[in-house]
Amino acid sequence: MSIALARTAAEEALDFSLPHRRMEEWRWTDLRQMIDKPYPPRQMVTAEQGEVERLLKSSPFAAIAGARMVFVNGHYDSKHSKLVNSAVEPQAEITEPVQQMNAAFATDGARLVLSGSIDTPVELVFIATDAAPRTIATHNVIEVAGGASATIIETHIGKGSYLANSVTEIRIGEGARLDRVKADLESHDATHLAHAHVTLSANVTYREFTLSTGAKLNRQNGTYAFKGEHTDAKISGAYLLAGKQHADSRLVVDHQVPNCASRELFKCVMDDHARSIFQGKVIVRPHAQKTDGKQSSHALLLSETAEFDAKPELEIFADDVACGHGATAGDLNEDHLFYLESRGITPAEAKALLIAAFVGEAFETIDHDGIREALTDYAARWLTEHRRKG
Amino acid sequence: MADLQTIELVKDIEVDKYKYGFETEIESDFAPKGLNEDIVRFISAKKGEPAWMLEARLEAYARWLQMDEPTWARVHYPKIDFQDLYYYAAPKSMSGPKSLDEVDPKLLETYAKLGIPLKEQEILAGVRKQGEKSELDDAGGSEYSSGKVAVDAVFDSVSVVTTFKAELAKAGVIFCSISEALREHPELVKKYLFSVVPQGDNYYAALNSAVFSDGSFVYVPPGVRCPMELSTYFRMNAKNTGQFERTLIIADKGSYVSYLEGCTAPTREESQLHAAVVELIALDDAEIKYSTVQNWYPGDAEGKGGIYNFVTKRGDCRGPRSKISWTQVETGSAITWKYPSCILRGEESRGEFYSIAISNGRQQVDSGTKMIHLGKNTSSRIISKGIAAGRSDNTYRGLVSAHRKATNARNFTQCDSLLIGDKCGAHTVPYIEAKTSTAQFEHEATTSKISDDQMFYCMSRGLTQEEAVALIVNGFVRDVLQQLPMEFMAETQKLIGISLEGSVG
Repeated sequence: MSIALARTAAEEALDFSLPHRRMEEWRWTDLRQMIDKPYPPRQMVTAEQGEVERLLKSSPFAAIAGARMVFVNGHYDSKHSKLVNSAVEPQAEITEPVQQMNAAFATDGARLVLSGSIDTPVELVFIATDAAPRTIATHNVIEVAGGASATIIETHIGKGSYLANSVTEIRIGEGARLDRVKADLESHDATHLAHAHVTLSANVTYREFTLSTGAKLNRQNGTYAFKGEHTDAKISGAYLLAGKQHADSRLVVDHQVPNCASRELFKCVMDDHARSIFQGKVIVRPHAQKTDGKQSSHALLLSETAEFDAKPELEIFADDVACGHGATAGDLNEDHLFYLESRGITPAEAKALLIAAFVGEAFETIDHDGIREALTDYAARWLTEHRRKG
Repeated sequence: MADLQTIELVKDIEVDKYKYGFETEIESDFAPKGLNEDIVRFISAKKGEPAWMLEARLEAYARWLQMDEPTWARVHYPKIDFQDLYYYAAPKSMSGPKSLDEVDPKLLETYAKLGIPLKEQEILAGVRKQGEKSELDDAGGSEYSSGKVAVDAVFDSVSVVTTFKAELAKAGVIFCSISEALREHPELVKKYLFSVVPQGDNYYAALNSAVFSDGSFVYVPPGVRCPMELSTYFRMNAKNTGQFERTLIIADKGSYVSYLEGCTAPTREESQLHAAVVELIALDDAEIKYSTVQNWYPGDAEGKGGIYNFVTKRGDCRGPRSKISWTQVETGSAITWKYPSCILRGEESRGEFYSIAISNGRQQVDSGTKMIHLGKNTSSRIISKGIAAGRSDNTYRGLVSAHRKATNARNFTQCDSLLIGDKCGAHTVPYIEAKTSTAQFEHEATTSKISDDQMFYCMSRGLTQEEAVALIVNGFVRDVLQQLPMEFMAETQKLIGISLEGSVG
């Protein structure tokens, strides 16, 4: 059913029709309504160096990352980058609104070919400086050569009001391993729209972790296509949301070949009026026998007014598979709180301990010690600051 | 056992006949093909309905005209030509096969397995009406010289029905057709009809509201525990009551009723489209248990000629501590599109949904439930077992939502799918919406197949492959089977085995 809708001011500024709730995949995140002011694209903004450096320093990975590639307001910043682009072309089909928007407005992005064994994490930093509201779009292509192993971090940091659109295409060659960490530490006045398109060959090990805590509006799509057998992917994420933040993740795990395994684990903590959404879909195509696919999403609602919506979908066309999903939503368990309090722990501490344990499970999936510790610390700081406020 | 089942089946047929006995004057009339405002007026006039009912129908029709056919379900079928259907008492002999030779042989095989004699098969397959003379009568050699006589010999159904009627009346339970209720109890119908499923609720509900021809009406007065399983003996909805049934069940304060619709014997229906609406209302402390066994003609091996079952079923737990429980066994129909739901409005009310959906051949099932928690301390439980075999598609689609004010809402959902063969599909599409932190929602889904070890074990004990599958599947669905009224458990177990025949190897 197509309905002709009058364009909103935001749509006029972009000359682009935003997805809305009548579209099934956007039922809980109506961009037409939620993007309530114009974010004109392709704006030239001169960044102040001091601000760039301050923002760069605020990345929790500043001490961990080896080679860095920095994009400021959607453009490559040679001063702070150690890496240069390689010759690699995008291949992903453009089907989704976030991708279409990106295709129209992307100004720059990383083009990387990773080969051999890269020990120190590579960090891609996307910085938005404080300026007039605008759209910043970047498009990255990362190719991991067969047999290679690497860790890549995507950090999104910013100040002020802007719309960040980030599309990342990842292709992983046979027998390779990639650990990908993405952190949305955007400004609280920002909108973050992301799309990841991951293609996995045979015998690949893929690990992904996403932290969503920055933007006021966050939507992340991920499609993971299994193209070769005996590949194993773990995709996990944590949401730490408060105020009126809204975060929506939609993952499509597409098992096209037999003998692969996928795991998804999402932990969402919400306070105040925050709302989080998890839409996960596992597809097992005909003949993708012996697929082992598990998906779980858990939400912890700390306030009466927080909201969690989930749509964990299974679409299965092969019989010899073990697939399942689990979803839970609720507040802290009173028995657990009581137990801790009876051991002399203050209610506030007990609460913090339980929240930390709840999200901790997702952080545990990160193999790199430094990154895991950096993110765990970041989460602990969020909890403390947040508690002080509340 | 086979004899017992035959008696059961014959009983159903006779009872239905009895019901038709009341309606002969309506039976002889029919409206021309197609749908327009005049047809709606015609239906309403024929049934001698009050003016408000006609208005409600016309409003529904006007709404329906504005609506688009829903396409979100995972089902595919050629577009339905709504002008090519009869909307009122279609002449039933027009499209039926002339003799058993013309009936899908697969269907006849199933009858044989359920132990249904040839004469009854004719009726079920739509070759002949009850009371009509069978060509087989001349051949002789059958122990039943005609369906009717056989029934009389076995069972004097009229007196049985009367006995139950009297017993129900003594308890104060009103159980009649909805047309009768519109004449005899218009105040009750007016108060509750459309209050759960409004005229414009969805495309098929709007269509049903405009043209529904009949259905059941149940009212259980305060504090009354209905003395019997309704419909166990009547099974009014089982055959030919029309493609647009409307059922309205009201359980007044503190009452209890268990209602069962459907039939385990596969019936060949003449109408391809079934768009029924069921409304349940449970007032304070009342409980309604609604069980369905649906085994309509699924079509031939290619899925041609099967029934489209597009049903809207919704229960409203209106009073505090009320309870509505849906149990369904869906084995028939080419396409099933059905989401029995509960609106948990009353505080501490409870909704339950137990489902077995089996699809084989080319069947498509898109079914599930909605549990809408509005009141405080409401709870719900969903157990869904989907079994896909052959080239079928089986989808569970459900919603569990808690409103801001639904403090301490609880839900537990379990959706298990079993795949038999690698040409079928099993899908799970649950929606979870928690708008309050005090809600505790748990959802679990698994998909698996019958393991080789299980098969090997059963077969090493001397079971054939098909027996082994039936046994394992019966174990898989046991949680739901147990929710069925006793009378139906055994029959359903057998039915599951039959539905899955030919699915292995």
